[in-house]
Amino acid sequence: MTLFSKTFGAASAIAMSCAAVAAQADVLFWSTQARPAEEAQAMTEQVLSGFAGGVDYQPNEGGPWLTRLQAELQAGSGSIGVLGSLHGDFSAMNPDDLVDLDDLGVSSASATFDTLAKLGTDNMQYIPWMQASYIMAANKEALQYLPEGADIDALTYDQLIEWSANVHEAVGEPKFGFPAGPKGLKHRFFQGYLYPSYTNGVVRTFASDEAVTAWEAFKSLWEHTNPASTNFSFMQEQLLSGDAWIAFDHTSRLAQAFNDRPDDFVAFPAPAGPTGRGFMPVLAGVAIPRTAPDMDAAKELVKYMLDPATQIATLRATNFFPVVDVALPEDLPPSVKAAGDAVAKMSGSADANPGLLPAGLGDKGGDFSQVFVDTFERIVLANQDIRMVLDDQKGKLAAIMQESGAPCWAPDAASDGPCPVE
Amino acid sequence: MTAVATPDARKAGRWLYVTSVVLLCAWVIVPLYFLLINTLSAPEDVQSYPKAFFPAFDMGSLSFFVTFNGMIDALLNSIMVAGLTMILSIAIGAPAGYALSRFDFRGKELFRLLILLTRAFPLPLLALPLAVMFIRTGLDDTIIGLALVHTTLAIPFAVLITFSLFSGIPMELEEAAWTLGCTRLTAFTKVVLPLILPGIAASAIFAFVISWNEVFAAAVLTIENRTLTAFLLVKLSEAPIHLKFAGGFILVLPALIFIFAVRKYLFAMWGIANR
Repeated sequence: MTLFSKTFGAASAIAMSCAAVAAQADVLFWSTQARPAEEAQAMTEQVLSGFAGGVDYQPNEGGPWLTRLQAELQAGSGSIGVLGSLHGDFSAMNPDDLVDLDDLGVSSASATFDTLAKLGTDNMQYIPWMQASYIMAANKEALQYLPEGADIDALTYDQLIEWSANVHEAVGEPKFGFPAGPKGLKHRFFQGYLYPSYTNGVVRTFASDEAVTAWEAFKSLWEHTNPASTNFSFMQEQLLSGDAWIAFDHTSRLAQAFNDRPDDFVAFPAPAGPTGRGFMPVLAGVAIPRTAPDMDAAKELVKYMLDPATQIATLRATNFFPVVDVALPEDLPPSVKAAGDAVAKMSGSADANPGLLPAGLGDKGGDFSQVFVDTFERIVLANQDIRMVLDDQKGKLAAIMQESGAPCWAPDAASDGPCPVE
Repeated sequence: MTAVATPDARKAGRWLYVTSVVLLCAWVIVPLYFLLINTLSAPEDVQSYPKAFFPAFDMGSLSFFVTFNGMIDALLNSIMVAGLTMILSIAIGAPAGYALSRFDFRGKELFRLLILLTRAFPLPLLALPLAVMFIRTGLDDTIIGLALVHTTLAIPFAVLITFSLFSGIPMELEEAAWTLGCTRLTAFTKVVLPLILPGIAASAIFAFVISWNEVFAAAVLTIENRTLTAFLLVKLSEAPIHLKFAGGFILVLPALIFIFAVRKYLFAMWGIANR
């Protein structure tokens, strides 16, 4: 019993003495980005160490991030100084809870991003912080099976399917990898890549005949997709383990493959469909909640994050690209070079069909993505009739658009009022 | 027909027994073994298969965490929160368990059910109002505040375990003590308490493990004083695989050491439960 009572005693003694730890004066940077251990460490040591006031960088999962923020807003006081998150998280918030940031005098180099950052108001609710995109990556082993005459930098969806089929036949197992796992970003592929490439729209064309063709194409791609894909969420892992030879994912979720074995993998643009090469950006921003304890320090930190030197340090730490005009240095990590090249080729291609992030959905953003996830699961995993599923899901999508009142965004043609599902 | 088993049947029975023991041990040990091997492998070897039986003792993955800011503080916080949770849940749970087993009172069954209700609501649902209240009362971001939440989670187990322990001790023992001059209190401290101490220790271990493993409340209710689980888990779920193994190892190790240290009390409780 002695050891036990000792443990009891020691624990309680330490607990009592430490219960009242003095609050730190550092600005608390409450973020959903740069969560992985190495990225978080790099943010603290390389990106934020240059800030004069001192920063406590705390990355979190979306759930605790939002719960804590809401608690502080409801309580009317808090410790969070600066928020860092994706556009979608900010657009689900009440703009009144975020401090207007126009007077800081900083903004991104993209007028589109700055407009998104106003969240439908007249003022900047957050400042664009960094951007990324989704690209393709392949093991160099797979290159020998490229279809005749196919250029890897200008693939079409048909060529991608043929390529995956060739690999499947040659190796004896399906080697296309798709992040369809619980944490995978599959919905972004449908919203920003498949739909724009086949239907030149996302919402208007959701249940069109072209959409049926798109899903048929995706189903034939799925035949050559590793069936374990429903467990894949970070394709860098499967690229490294060899479970996938050709993969689609977020640039920062492919980074480790390029950094660990730069000579074994290639990055290339997403494929093109009948209506062009659809692709979509990822936009993260920094904002200040109205309950920030030290408003001036928080504003200084936001300004610091937009500084060109900070932006380059952020690129090295997180594989997210700058949103301001900067001259990129030569000695960047392999993942940054690979992803940067692929994104440049994608946006510079003759048939580029850039889409925007869903905007104006407010807190319906999650439901919007769920429609695409459900459609995928019913058509591809449950093998239900495409036309029937699309007609069925169309009603849900239309209800979400009506409820949120969100107007169409590119590549859908502009609308008066809520974007219609045709 | 005799009741004595034939040598063949006895042999088969022994074989079945040994196999089950081996299987059960493997069930626990193999994952821990792989965790250890991968923790001590070089990052590039983690993906490779089959594994060497003896680890390469590459400290690369572990040394990353040694230099990780705030690890030690988070470890201390975790120990303190878990220790406090242990003390509080036993201090509150054991008397309730005693009352449930020894006294009849109105609404006893309802009370037993209500105790379980604290586990009926998912924490993400409770976390928001709790956090608002904690911020307003100043409990926010303190060890005690978090320990209180974890105590609430651990109490149902503490009450139910101690209830069954007290029920296993014959009332006659206590009554005999009373006739020999003990008061209700001294009968309890001199007769009942020594008998159930191992069981109490076991339910304390349970409280410790519950607190050690809890993430959501810890992530919402603490900012500067993070627990190890909240501190590491968020960063591990998306980290490269060799760091996941190393981090998992770091999370498992203290709990393993703790359980190893108190294992004899745990076994003693099973002895009581078998009576």
